[in-house]
Amino acid sequence: MIKNVYGENLTSFTVKVRRQASPDSQSYWEAFNIPYQADLNVISVLQQIAKMSKNAKGESTTPVAWDCGCLEEVCGACTMVINGRVRQSCSALVDNILDENNDVLRLEPMSKFPVIRDLVVDRSRVFRALQKIKAWVPVDGYYDMGAGPKQDRKRQEQAYPLSECMSCGCCLEACPQYLKVETQRESDETDEQFEDRKNAEYDKNFVGAHAINQAMLFNSNPTGKMISGERLDALTDEGGIQICGNAQNCVAVCPKEIPLTTSIAKAGRAATIHKIKKFFDSNEK
Amino acid sequence: MDSSETNFFRKHEFLIRRLHSLSGLLPVGAYMIVHLLTNASILNGVESFQNLVYQIHSLGKILWIVEWGFIFLPLLFHAGFGVVIIMGSKSNTSQYSYVANWRYRMQRITGMVALLFIGFHVLHMHGWFHVGFWKTFAHAIGMAQFSPYNAASTAGEAMQSTILMPVFYFVGIAACVYHLANGVWTMGITWGVWTTPQAQKRATIACAGLGGFVMIVAISALVGFCTLDTDKAQEREIEMYQESVNVGRIIENEEKLSKPAQKKIKRERRRK
Ligand code: HEM
Ligand code: SF4
Ligand code: SF4
Ligand code: FES
Repeated sequence: MIKNVYGENLTSFTVKVRRQASPDSQSYWEAFNIPYQADLNVISVLQQIAKMSKNAKGESTTPVAWDCGCLEEVCGACTMVINGRVRQSCSALVDNILDENNDVLRLEPMSKFPVIRDLVVDRSRVFRALQKIKAWVPVDGYYDMGAGPKQDRKRQEQAYPLSECMSCGCCLEACPQYLKVETQRESDETDEQFEDRKNAEYDKNFVGAHAINQAMLFNSNPTGKMISGERLDALTDEGGIQICGNAQNCVAVCPKEIPLTTSIAKAGRAATIHKIKKFFDSNEK
Repeated sequence: MDSSETNFFRKHEFLIRRLHSLSGLLPVGAYMIVHLLTNASILNGVESFQNLVYQIHSLGKILWIVEWGFIFLPLLFHAGFGVVIIMGSKSNTSQYSYVANWRYRMQRITGMVALLFIGFHVLHMHGWFHVGFWKTFAHAIGMAQFSPYNAASTAGEAMQSTILMPVFYFVGIAACVYHLANGVWTMGITWGVWTTPQAQKRATIACAGLGGFVMIVAISALVGFCTLDTDKAQEREIEMYQESVNVGRIIENEEKLSKPAQKKIKRERRRK
């Protein structure tokens, strides 16, 4: 049983949520009182709030919006800032958090992405970065290209940890070099025009640790390697690897414990060599 | 919309950042180490230090090319772009108080301290510009203290002018040394020299060693100048000046002597 500050058994605890009704409205804090149960996770707390639809003052309120998918820490959709630290809410156990922090649970949306509503943010920049650095093996074509080259055991073992990324955005939220990019929609714009403008804006800014890591993953794949030069071009483009300032928060917060700073260092080396080769040899792609 | 100037920076962002990284070590960091080692030679005596300064000034008419090409311009580029980099980031050590994150933040703080310190230091010793009216003005406000042919005595006097001076210099130098040592560590990641966490840990130890070594050199120089008998040093420097001019080791140039030393030499000449 969890004890409160007075050493009594905890019967209820406070949840403070940073809420925001729409992308362009002001955010505000709302508190909720949740009856204590053992083994809650943050998602079940949010379900509790939706069920009560009453805040701590007893006023009725709208349910808090949040996102989730897998509920087992593999999709990344439920990522939010919990007591000041970014993590997945589905795997965040209330008992552990209350143990560290007396009686209060603070939930905030990630600060580096535009808020859609309450705890739901627009993570499209995470995926745009994967497009930019071509995080795939290029095998599309009109005819069967046959089996790819075999991968040796050692390379597989090195690649596997890098492939565990779920594009959650924790590494980006914690990165001091990754700043929020929010594009406002103009009234006379079509969906496509807005999308293009948004992507152009994303492309000017830092791609982030996850994308650098994926570039290294696909550049180490025997088939993926075929376009390694294009990936390094993307990594040395505006907003590329040069923005990283080596704070190493990314690797500290990654829930999949991906060796991000090793990927960043390897990408830094490969990018420099690629640029020098291109400068001295116009045939280099 | 974008001016072509900001477009230029954007298009060459990678190259500029790599040059920024490189310039921190070469030439700026390397110069800093040589500079501190030169200064520490004061512990060996007035003669050692004065001879090293003679050597530097033996470049004569091309000295300014070396000063601007290898020291001032690279430093101004590194510092100027450093400020741009700092403005494009948002520290979050209160939320994520990891050691590496603090080191990242300290790199930026010490960069700013280094900027203020070096700006003052160059004004204090060198005077920024060697143009007539400016030099007179700088002298009048207690700046432009260093005279290359009275190297030890003028540097010593500048250091001993108030008790705050050595304290201020110590803080400034410590910031520069941290910035260099931690900068070499981040450089190793930026250029992909140390990649794995184990290698980065070993590199941290090596860089701390480098920082410790440079700091000992710096403290030696500081102690040397703070404890120098500047009157005796000046006498010796005047002797050295006259002898060195006689044997052709240096070219006569009274501008490079301090004002009191110039007066003393004149007085002696009159007596003869
Ligand atoms: C004593 C003079 C200085 C020395 C020896 C020096 C040296 C270095 C070195 C070796 C680096 C590492 C580069 C890398 O991480 O790749 C660095 C980075 C940096 N320096 Fe300096 N620096 C000096 C002065 C300054 C000044 C005056 C500023 C401006 C305020 C400044 C701002 C920065 C910044 C912001 C970085 C981080 C760059 C990044 O992470 O991308 N430095 N410096
Ligand atoms: S690298 Fe880690 S923190 Fe970053 S998006 Fe992938 S799983 Fe999340
Ligand atoms: S190492 Fe680079 S990418 Fe990772 S948190 Fe630091 S600045 Fe961001
Ligand atoms: S719901 Fe998929 S990671 Fe939490």
